[in-house]
Amino acid sequence: MSSSELFLQQVINGLTIGSVYALIALGYTMVYGIMQLINFAHGEVFMVGAYLGLSVILAAGLQAPAAGSLAWFLFLIAVAAAGCAVLGLIIERVAYRPLRRAPKLSLLITAIGVSFFLQNAVMIGYGAQDRYLPSLLPAVTWGKGAVTVTPLQLMIFVVAFLLMVLLHRIVYATGFGRAMRASAQDPLAARLMGISVDKVTALTFALGSALAGVGGVLFGSHYSTVNFHDGYLTGLKAFTAAVLGGIGNIPGAMVGGLLLGLIEGLSAGYVSTQWKNVIAFAVLVLVLLFRPRGLLGERVAERA
Amino acid sequence: MNTSSVRSATLAAALFFLLAGCGKPEAVVRVGFVGPLTGDQAAHGLDMLRGVQMALENVKSQGEILPGYRVELSVLDDQRSPSQAVSAAKRLASDPTVVAVVGHLNSSCTKPASVIYNEARMLHVNPVSSNPEISRQGFDNFYRVCPTDDLQGPAGARFAVEKLGAKKIFVIDDMTTYGRGLANEFMKKAKTLNVQLLGHEGIAQGEKDFTPLLTKVKSLGADLIYFAGMFPEAALLIKQRRELNVPASFLGGDGLYEPTLIQLATPQAAEGIYLTTLGADIHQVPKAKQFVESFEQRYHHMGSYSSYAYEATRLALEAIHRAGRPERTAVLLAMKGIKEYPGILGVHTFDEKGDTTLRTIGIFTVRDGKFQFLEAFEGKS
Repeated sequence: MSSSELFLQQVINGLTIGSVYALIALGYTMVYGIMQLINFAHGEVFMVGAYLGLSVILAAGLQAPAAGSLAWFLFLIAVAAAGCAVLGLIIERVAYRPLRRAPKLSLLITAIGVSFFLQNAVMIGYGAQDRYLPSLLPAVTWGKGAVTVTPLQLMIFVVAFLLMVLLHRIVYATGFGRAMRASAQDPLAARLMGISVDKVTALTFALGSALAGVGGVLFGSHYSTVNFHDGYLTGLKAFTAAVLGGIGNIPGAMVGGLLLGLIEGLSAGYVSTQWKNVIAFAVLVLVLLFRPRGLLGERVAERA
Repeated sequence: MNTSSVRSATLAAALFFLLAGCGKPEAVVRVGFVGPLTGDQAAHGLDMLRGVQMALENVKSQGEILPGYRVELSVLDDQRSPSQAVSAAKRLASDPTVVAVVGHLNSSCTKPASVIYNEARMLHVNPVSSNPEISRQGFDNFYRVCPTDDLQGPAGARFAVEKLGAKKIFVIDDMTTYGRGLANEFMKKAKTLNVQLLGHEGIAQGEKDFTPLLTKVKSLGADLIYFAGMFPEAALLIKQRRELNVPASFLGGDGLYEPTLIQLATPQAAEGIYLTTLGADIHQVPKAKQFVESFEQRYHHMGSYSSYAYEATRLALEAIHRAGRPERTAVLLAMKGIKEYPGILGVHTFDEKGDTTLRTIGIFTVRDGKFQFLEAFEGKS
């Protein structure tokens, strides 16, 4: 394995997990953009997405890759996206909307409460042990020389990329996207222009949660195990990615996610696994020292 | 009725209810069991609990353990977390009806908990925490029925070099008391065996992505990966090792000996890995035949740590029986008198540290999606 092959493989490793971080980070950043709320239950929505995938697999009795597996896999993604979108709507309606006029700190506490609730609900429903999530894509390895990639990794790249493009189109080329950006910049003015900020907020939650749900299925399939506390660490990392890219900034979340995955992968591969989190967070601190609003930082003037 | 008589009547009534509340202490004596009953290692914990329950049933069916007392279990969960283990230990220590404890799976839990049991002067029989440091704390109440990692590590190193012909080894552990300890014992022996140790790195329990580390191992040209840790992380390492086409063979410790490993790692990826276990294949031990048959009949599979939990519980019950009194010190004293105890794993005698004299380390592989016994090493450290 030559050093360039090694580097390429480490980049592939890093981008795989980075794509998942990016999908989750988008939800954090969109909700922050519109409500200035760190939705700490978002990591749990991601975890629920993985469990929705598991439920479909169990209900359909799927075991291993077979004919039509790809269609099933896409169906899994669709179910997780739809299920998590509904979950996002419920969370917003039950836990956040009633507190809209309360101090932001109260919202933060309910967010943490929702997070605990979801973790424990899943633990009671599915058990506390690791659950096996069979990958529906063939367990082969494609390689050129010493560099390898699995069908599932390709799937993660493709799905994440397409969703990010789609999201970008939604935000910058549709009426809803315009309403969303308007609500983020100035909710009062948006309301005066006839935008239902409540509806836009709810839809933003649904959209972000759907992305996290897709991330959950991709993550669970890639590592073939799911656990009720998976949302905690991965959610925290994705939040970090959102901050790294500039919280509130949608392209920032994508860049931050991929970058965090790369930094982790390269520091684990070239320095030491024990140090990967230390290095990743040291980079975060450095970025924030020099660019307090993240790499693609939100422009403050827009909100003022 | 004057006030003083009212007062004394009230007092009498209060006293009566107080005494009735306490009652005559119910004639119960308890044996504690603590293990990871929830969390990612719950499969191991449940297997152990079943062994403990079966031991109690079997001993009870052979006659009264302590005349006049009903023997019960007090089961607690440590979630494989050292802090939960300590708080469980404190709960058991503060319950005077608990006279002995069987417990903890993870060495990182057993070690801090053993301090509490020692202070409470409670008999502590440990089934499978194999870290050698635990028995070096000088606790006279600590007994252990499994061989330790200063036997398991060297046996693994000898197998890797002598049987698998490993020349370049990369060592990974999970940074726990057990994992780090086992990895160090492995490396200590490997250094004397003329192999190249390419590196030693730790991974954190609960992490999922080990591809950067495995890519590094691949680029270094290792021909064997030694992993000292538990099955959830091992499964991910094994699966990702295959996805990255890492040609190195894979050897682990007894923490991998759990059928869920093969499912989580996928049978294709797990095929041909090796692991060392504490003791030989339980199916081939003549004395264990009856236990294995009745266990498999009831639960349809043999738990990897069930036999150790069974053995530890039987020893604790034997000590309670010999003590003849429901007192911790009496039970401890009775345990000291147990020599050449004929258990299902073999005949146990305990050395001055409380470790068993059984020193067999088994070697297993995975073939056709199942664990298969290869050979036994008679350990000497």
